Amino acid sequence: MRVWVLLLALFLPALAQEGPPPDLSPEVFAIARELRCPVCQGESAAESNAGVAVEMRRLIAEMLQEGKTEAEIKAFFVDRYGEWILYEPPRQGLTLWVWLLPLAGLLLLGAGLFAYFRPRRTLPPELLEEAERRLKEPPA
Amino acid sequence: MGLVLALGGLFLWGMQRNPRELPSVLAKERRPAPDFTLPLLPPYRQAWGETLRLADHLGKRPIVLNFWASWCYPACYEEAPVLEAVWRRYRDRVLFLGVNTQDKEAEALRFVAQFGLTFPSVFDPRGRVGVDYGMYGVPETFFIDQEGRVLARHAGAIDQATLEKYLKEAMP
Repeated sequence: MRVWVLLLALFLPALAQEGPPPDLSPEVFAIARELRCPVCQGESAAESNAGVAVEMRRLIAEMLQEGKTEAEIKAFFVDRYGEWILYEPPRQGLTLWVWLLPLAGLLLLGAGLFAYFRPRRTLPPELLEEAERRLKEPPA
Repeated sequence: MGLVLALGGLFLWGMQRNPRELPSVLAKERRPAPDFTLPLLPPYRQAWGETLRLADHLGKRPIVLNFWASWCYPACYEEAPVLEAVWRRYRDRVLFLGVNTQDKEAEALRFVAQFGLTFPSVFDPRGRVGVDYGMYGVPETFFIDQEGRVLARHAGAIDQATLEKYLKEAMP
């Protein structure tokens, strides 16, 4: 009996969270996930329950019903909020560097590692002989 | 070493930026203020009619558009007396217009009564107009010049000095 209660307690929350809220279609959430929630910190318009995010989802649903494409819907929000509203900054203009800098960093790191672990060149034979000779010399 | 200095500089620059100065596409490009037609809150219907269309008031005198809500505590409660006082001083030259955003009417009316707000407010329970203005969250105040273009946006509670500074910019 106790085990059943425990199991029920464990699985009930999981059941409650299954699937998106029934009033809006998954397409709405797919688009909202790529838009920033303006009042939130690091949350998309799909996750947040802030008033603005709820209204954004409602607008997306309405625009989808009017037959607008995803690109048109995103353009609607960019027109009002600027490119800031997009979670993925466009790969052009000023925001291109956020895509390129990590690559540049990786390349720099690779070059550094290569230089560090590269097999050292051995000394030329005449220097080796000289070193050996000096080692054998009694200290002055 | 140079990299550390550069990162430190970037951090310092970031820390000194004012989060209140959020970029507004409307203000940056001085775009015409987006139009809307919304019902007025009941106390203002006698003087202003059932609904208010922004376009009817654009291009006549500057407009101060204030987005507020009764649940926005404390910021909206801090700025409400300031807005009312400045409105009373400039009401013959500037129109103050409140947009009650995502609120319940009864609670909005309680807010209006609490501060004795005499400038008109429209009722936008969905918050549709806020999206058109690229609003982040209440309170936010937009200054519209005499030609009907958005001059500036102030995010957060506004104080009297800031309000009057923008008013001087907006008034010819």
